[in-house]
Amino acid sequence: MKLASYRKKSPWILHYNAGGCNGCDIEILACLGPKYDIERFGMINTGNPKQSDILLVTGPVTKRSRERLVEIYAQMPEPKVVISCGACASTGGVFRGMYNCEGGIDQYIPVDVYVCGCGTRPEQIIDGVVQALGILEKKTKELEESVRLKKEAVNEGKQLNRRNIADEIKPLLS
Amino acid sequence: MFPYIASLFILPLVVSGLLLLLPKTAARVLVIASSVALSILSLYLFLNVDEPFYFGLPHYVNEIVAGADILLLLYFGWVAFRKKSLLVGVMSVLQLGGLLYLLKTMPAAESMQFMVDKLSTFMFLLINVISGVIAIYSLKYIDEEECSSFRKKYFLSILFWFIAVMNLIVSSDNLEYFFLFFELTTLASFLFIGFRKDKESVNNALTALWMNQIGGLAILAAIFFIHYNGFGEGTFTNLLANTGATGILLPLALLSVAALIKGAQMPFSKWLLGAMVAPTPVSALLHSSTMVKIAPFIILRLSPALRDTPVATVIIALTGFVFIAAAIGALSQDNFKRILAHSTIALLALMIMMGAVGTPVTIVAALALIMFHGISKCMLFLNAGILERVFHLKQSSDMDRLGEIGPFTSLVITIGFMSLLLPPFGAFIGKWMSIETLGAMTADKKILGALVMVAVACGGAVLSLLYFKVMGLMIARTGESDKLKFEKTGPIFSGTIYVLIGLIILSIIGLPWLVTEYFAPVAATSLNVNEIPVLTEGWNIYIGPIKLPLVPLLIAFFLLPVTIITAMFVRFKNVDRAKEYMCGEKVNYTFSSFYFSTDKATPYFYAAGVLFFISLIIVALI
Amino acid sequence: MNDYLIPVLLIVLAPIIGGLVYGFERVVKARMQRRIGPPLLQPFYDFLKLADKRKMIVHSAHAFLGIMHFVSLWFALGVLLLGGDLILVIFLHLLSTALIILAGYSTRSVFSHLGANRTAISVLAYEPVLIIIAVSIFMITGTFETGAVYLWDEPLLYKMPLAFVALLLILPIKLKKSPFDVAEAHQEVTGGVELEFSGLFYEAVYTAKWLDYVFCYTLVFLFAGSNILLGIGLIVFTFFYLNALDNSSARVNYKQMLRFSLGVAFSLAFINLLINILS
Repeated sequence: MKLASYRKKSPWILHYNAGGCNGCDIEILACLGPKYDIERFGMINTGNPKQSDILLVTGPVTKRSRERLVEIYAQMPEPKVVISCGACASTGGVFRGMYNCEGGIDQYIPVDVYVCGCGTRPEQIIDGVVQALGILEKKTKELEESVRLKKEAVNEGKQLNRRNIADEIKPLLS
Repeated sequence: MFPYIASLFILPLVVSGLLLLLPKTAARVLVIASSVALSILSLYLFLNVDEPFYFGLPHYVNEIVAGADILLLLYFGWVAFRKKSLLVGVMSVLQLGGLLYLLKTMPAAESMQFMVDKLSTFMFLLINVISGVIAIYSLKYIDEEECSSFRKKYFLSILFWFIAVMNLIVSSDNLEYFFLFFELTTLASFLFIGFRKDKESVNNALTALWMNQIGGLAILAAIFFIHYNGFGEGTFTNLLANTGATGILLPLALLSVAALIKGAQMPFSKWLLGAMVAPTPVSALLHSSTMVKIAPFIILRLSPALRDTPVATVIIALTGFVFIAAAIGALSQDNFKRILAHSTIALLALMIMMGAVGTPVTIVAALALIMFHGISKCMLFLNAGILERVFHLKQSSDMDRLGEIGPFTSLVITIGFMSLLLPPFGAFIGKWMSIETLGAMTADKKILGALVMVAVACGGAVLSLLYFKVMGLMIARTGESDKLKFEKTGPIFSGTIYVLIGLIILSIIGLPWLVTEYFAPVAATSLNVNEIPVLTEGWNIYIGPIKLPLVPLLIAFFLLPVTIITAMFVRFKNVDRAKEYMCGEKVNYTFSSFYFSTDKATPYFYAAGVLFFISLIIVALI
Repeated sequence: MNDYLIPVLLIVLAPIIGGLVYGFERVVKARMQRRIGPPLLQPFYDFLKLADKRKMIVHSAHAFLGIMHFVSLWFALGVLLLGGDLILVIFLHLLSTALIILAGYSTRSVFSHLGANRTAISVLAYEPVLIIIAVSIFMITGTFETGAVYLWDEPLLYKMPLAFVALLLILPIKLKKSPFDVAEAHQEVTGGVELEFSGLFYEAVYTAKWLDYVFCYTLVFLFAGSNILLGIGLIVFTFFYLNALDNSSARVNYKQMLRFSLGVAFSLAFINLLINILS
């Protein structure tokens, strides 16, 4: 068993419907059922932003739901990945241009994976999640690197501060 | 020794008189100085009295006592007439009749009227130290009360008078004297509870009066039956000397009834619950060091005679029942002081039960419980007063912001509740020892032992649930107020609280030492044996056959109480912060705590209590 | 020395054993629903992933209490496995639960509060039954020390079958299994008290659940006395019983739970206690 691969093996999903027609939601629930059984990849539908890694959004952002969407996104701990699930979440779909809709969710939160379809098929959703896992791992590594950067001692001798730079370029200017 | 003991009686009385006359500043100095003096005196006596110390008073004092008794009962009769209370009137008339009959038939007392032994000095220590702290606290509390300045002085005056009477009651041997002091504490509580003079106060004061008068009547009957059954004079010494004789059970049962009433056991719990209308120092006084502690005191005094009698069996069953009933009753309360009152009743039941079981271990456990309960209940009630005065909070469900506005008070309340509950604080040890010994005693009375054990354990679980409910309110806060900033409550309020916290911490640290050096000898005097075998072997303390493992207790101490206290101070750095999850909504909710409605069960509890009391007398008659 | 070897090993490995039990349970549950289910080591993958997340808290006291819940539960388990006093063990377990209840109350989160209230009620539901079982064990063996119970020759099961049934009835409450999982009901209160924890701090609460498995199965094991084979049999039986029950029943509300537990399980245990006393 490769220990490093654990990151890909336990994506916990938060599912949020930003105002769609529930078609995609039903497909997501189908993923949980015996036929597609996404739990075999270790995925759990947590329903709780504080413990999830992947935000699965369906439906166009309505004017009522946009604040909630951002709030929930903010409550997820880093690293996190957002999947916009279905045509509505990606672009607004059939609701695009309606008085109460804002279009795709990427106007409010950064989206990593777009899954097309109206409604999306369970296979597509699983494929999207698997792609998201790659992004998640990349983000985890970035996070680790940044932590390492923070922890590594700063080498005082090599560091240039503004005064040093000013001293160096002074003869050149004059 | 005599002058020290006498000064414990006389000093508070003198102070009580002076307080009525002196101006405010002088009264302050006097209260503080005399509280300190009384504490030192009682500590000195506790350390130096080893053998029981008897002393008598001249014969004319007997006449004065009889006169005082009659005057007091006449006063009660007058109160009944003024307030038109039939029950108080009937009780006063009955008591007066009984007293006059006794005075006429009984021969004059020959033996010494007072006896001071280690149990008495233990009670001295508890009474004087805790009540002294309360007296100092009430300087500030009563200052803010809305009443005339004379009534403020009057309040402090009764307080010291109460201390004097309590000192007298725990050192009296003669039951006639005991009766007088018993009635005097009743009077003091009557005056205290009715202090605010509104309708509710007066009603509750009258309830307290007639209920406690039943206790007085029981004492009179006990004196009568001691004489009638031919045991001679009515003294505690005499009673204990005749242990096991036929006919001794009835006076014992009657004295126990008096104790159980003072200890607010069901169905007489109403007077203690009603006492909540009084100013908060009164509740502190009644619950922690005085009044209700007479109950375990009487039972501890009588425990060698009570042990293994049917009367003890009924008392154990009754208190086991009261323990769980009061715990369940407490779950349904929202008022902070009423929650405390219910838990007092439950813990008193435990103490009385321990006294009635009467093995060395249970006596030690009872003493530990009395002491720890005294300190921590006092602290909790004083804090209830601070909540009322500084934060204007009375209901526990309103306290959900206390952790933000008054972190110090909430911390102290948390410590107080933990000291009632968690290992290795006293109450937990008391409870644990009680379960273990009740298990050990069940050889002959298995069913009773098992039933009581279940009651104690389940009641303990219910009580701990209740305490955690309140503690949960205390530590609630939001992410914004993560860093604590202690509030200021004034020198007297915070000073008294500091003293009490110090006492709690000292007694935790010194627990093994306290058990071996102090509780065990006191228990030995209470049991009339030379010494109780207490061994410290490795990491265990053995009291008789019962083992008290220290290692799990020590670790438990670091895990649980320290955890909860640190939780209030700890602050993580380098972490992200998020708001609470509310499905993405941004709404501020008001929180309150849950409570169950157990009002339907209360009449049944009372009925069961009455049945127990009747069976107590019937058992003694048979 | 050998006497202590196995308990100490068990204590040290308790989270790993608990994790394996939890993983196996998830597989069994999935198979019962005709799914493939996650791999056996899934709980450990979750564990490692949670360790990778950035820490996020609501406030410090809350996060700290979550960690201490785990520590104190481990301590209670340690006392149980090392043969400590059963009453003390039950009390310590109660207090470790109390810490998580306190954590729930300490935030201003609706679901946390609801979960804490429900957890408190479920404590009220199972605690008396556990204590009666402890008392009946005392009535038979004459001691509260679990160390003596592990060495008891005749399995306690034969003397107290009703108490075992009562234990089986309250275990779903303790392990938060259907039909008595009101305390963490994911569909209603999204996990209850554990809702506000995240990352490393959630890990403590998550792992504490594994410890709870070991704790409960040790309680089951107590009924076999020194008969290890019977003990293992009982544990396996309990395991399948719990999962079958979890899969086949719907959630009841907390009132029904309290009524059932105090009405049926409590009376069963109590009848058993009376029988033990009289015989």
